[in-house]
Amino acid sequence: MTDDCQVTRRTALGALGALGVVAAGGFVMGTPATARAQVLGLNESVQDTMKRLFGDRPIRDGEALVKVDFPPIAENGSVVPISVTVDSPMTPASYVKNIYIVADKNRIPFVTRVTLAPEAGRAFMGANIRLGETGDLRAIVEQSDGTLLAVKREVKVTVGGCGG
Amino acid sequence: MADSDKVRLRLPSTIKSGDIVQVRALVLHPMERVERDAQGRIIQKNYNYVNKVIVTYLGKTILTFDTSQGVAENPFFSFTFRATAPGPLKVEFLDTTGGRFERTADIKFS
Amino acid sequence: MSRRPARRAARWAALVALCAACAGPTANAPDTASVPVWTSRATPEARGEFQVQPDGKRMAVRYRGWSTRDFNFRTYAYDDKRPEPAVQTVTMPAGVTGNPRLGHALFLSRAKGPCTGCHLIPGDDVWPAGNVGPDQSTIGDRKLTDQYLYQVIWDPRVFFPNTSMPPWGTVGVLSPEEVVHLVAYLQTLKGPVPPEKDPDRSPFTRRKPAGFGDNLDPTNNPAMLLADSAEARWTAKGPAGKACADCHEGGAASALKGVATRYPKFVKGYRRVMSIEDFLTVHGPETTGRPLLAESNDNLNLSMLIRRASNGMPMSVDTESLEARAAIARGKATFGRRVGERNHACADCHTVERGANKFLGGRLLADVTTGLTRHFPLWRTDRSEVWDMRKRFQWCMTPLGMNMLAADSVEYAELELYLATFDNGKPLSVPGIRH
Repeated sequence: MTDDCQVTRRTALGALGALGVVAAGGFVMGTPATARAQVLGLNESVQDTMKRLFGDRPIRDGEALVKVDFPPIAENGSVVPISVTVDSPMTPASYVKNIYIVADKNRIPFVTRVTLAPEAGRAFMGANIRLGETGDLRAIVEQSDGTLLAVKREVKVTVGGCGG
Repeated sequence: MADSDKVRLRLPSTIKSGDIVQVRALVLHPMERVERDAQGRIIQKNYNYVNKVIVTYLGKTILTFDTSQGVAENPFFSFTFRATAPGPLKVEFLDTTGGRFERTADIKFS
Repeated sequence: MSRRPARRAARWAALVALCAACAGPTANAPDTASVPVWTSRATPEARGEFQVQPDGKRMAVRYRGWSTRDFNFRTYAYDDKRPEPAVQTVTMPAGVTGNPRLGHALFLSRAKGPCTGCHLIPGDDVWPAGNVGPDQSTIGDRKLTDQYLYQVIWDPRVFFPNTSMPPWGTVGVLSPEEVVHLVAYLQTLKGPVPPEKDPDRSPFTRRKPAGFGDNLDPTNNPAMLLADSAEARWTAKGPAGKACADCHEGGAASALKGVATRYPKFVKGYRRVMSIEDFLTVHGPETTGRPLLAESNDNLNLSMLIRRASNGMPMSVDTESLEARAAIARGKATFGRRVGERNHACADCHTVERGANKFLGGRLLADVTTGLTRHFPLWRTDRSEVWDMRKRFQWCMTPLGMNMLAADSVEYAELELYLATFDNGKPLSVPGIRH
């Protein structure tokens, strides 16, 4: 019980700290409204990130529909190319609304959220991301009907050595 | 005029009406990482990183990326669009300091 | 006893001594007499210089974030006549009880080897171990004596004169107590080894790195944009009122097409081998008036612009002229020269007889005969910067434990020329992209 309280307090402080950082940037510097969008990336545990983003909504296994191209070994944690493709008709009646990328061992587990319209044609995203250390990388897909699907893979991050 | 020298777009050389076209976009950007002090506390400052990518096709936003500092320095972003008509495809990168970087590709059918 | 046999013996002894001196390490040393003394035209942090601190200690002036330690071991400098550290034969100290747990920690410690850089051991958390050296997972079964293991770790050259393994004790990386703990740990490593759950854990079965994709795609390689930015430099007037384009008509891509295939080369006017980057350091000031210091952004970006003008064309550095032959001989000697605290030569990692195509920790070591220069300068993803060949050489100095030379030093240029001979016939592709 005490442990839970301590974790919550630490997380809350961490969240406040990070919010303070981004909020200062957003309001003081006068960024355009679109860039001041909801702060998604907070310094917290991955469990807290998942809870914050998805609450208690059920997340189903996405292996059948979600194809992730995550490298099994990343040569360094600074630049890790990834892509995700979801089997979806991408019509107004049924399309992928969001693809979330979450890295379990990153201090800010939220990496990116891609928000799509049917005009995208394919539920696909690619990017270069950072990974703090070896750990799981997740893709969480939100369908237009609200269904959540998830897939995860372990990515080993090579730590540089003698050769750099 | 938003800084387009720092942006590159890559599209296929031939596009036919109805194609689902894959686009790659790269922006030169420091994507500042969170710094910590000797006690491990986050140093409070306005970190400069791209936190929004907006893709607009024929005037309509078709796709956005919300990003954290977990995206790499000089990031590339890849996505698709359905080529329904010739016209502009604009990719805009917004950062936390008010920086804006954009480039527009003129979609033509062959 | 008759005096004649004694005198003959003395004469023989003198003759043998003389021959031994001739046959010694200096006898086949390449002739460096013709190499000019070169004043570096590199940026301050790229010159290999030192600052003396108030306490009298020397601190190296280096790139931001690089070690500033003053290494006290021999370098690639042609006038560095220091020998390799002398081989030490030692006895394992009595009175120190080996602690396998401490030994295990030492084996993995990045402040030491780490030993896992070259040697595999069991453990799910062992990531990433290399296979330049033999797998140690069952060394305890070999029932080697503690003394033998102690000597091998302290200075393996006693048993293996040409080994790639550093003499850890001789050079002071490991203390006697630490080696005792390592020996105790190694003696606990006995079979059977548990079946490998993850083939990537073991360097013997690990997947090769996938690389970073198309190096010439500007949406993949940021260095392409930096090279593009040098186009503006090409046509802009320098302090002397001239632009590159004034003499080299048209853009770099057309004006200098084919030029990079012949570099590095011996430049008569300067009596030394020069890469494109070296040449820019002298050519810039004497034409446009721009300094173009080695390792400056201007120099690197222009070098990428000039070298990519020859993309797709086969490298063809001169290997025939007298000057080229002499320089290549010196570069080859440098390639095989043991240097630094680790007492390594380039050859230890980059020849197939030794480390090439094996993993050093998590890094796959490249084979020099495949040609390793034609994609330089390249984008280093984990440093977010452009590296030319010289910065790559300078970086190696930290793990090898030796002081770096100036980026535009003749020693580096001739080493680069030797390496470039293996690129001959193969197409340039600049800028490259690597981790």
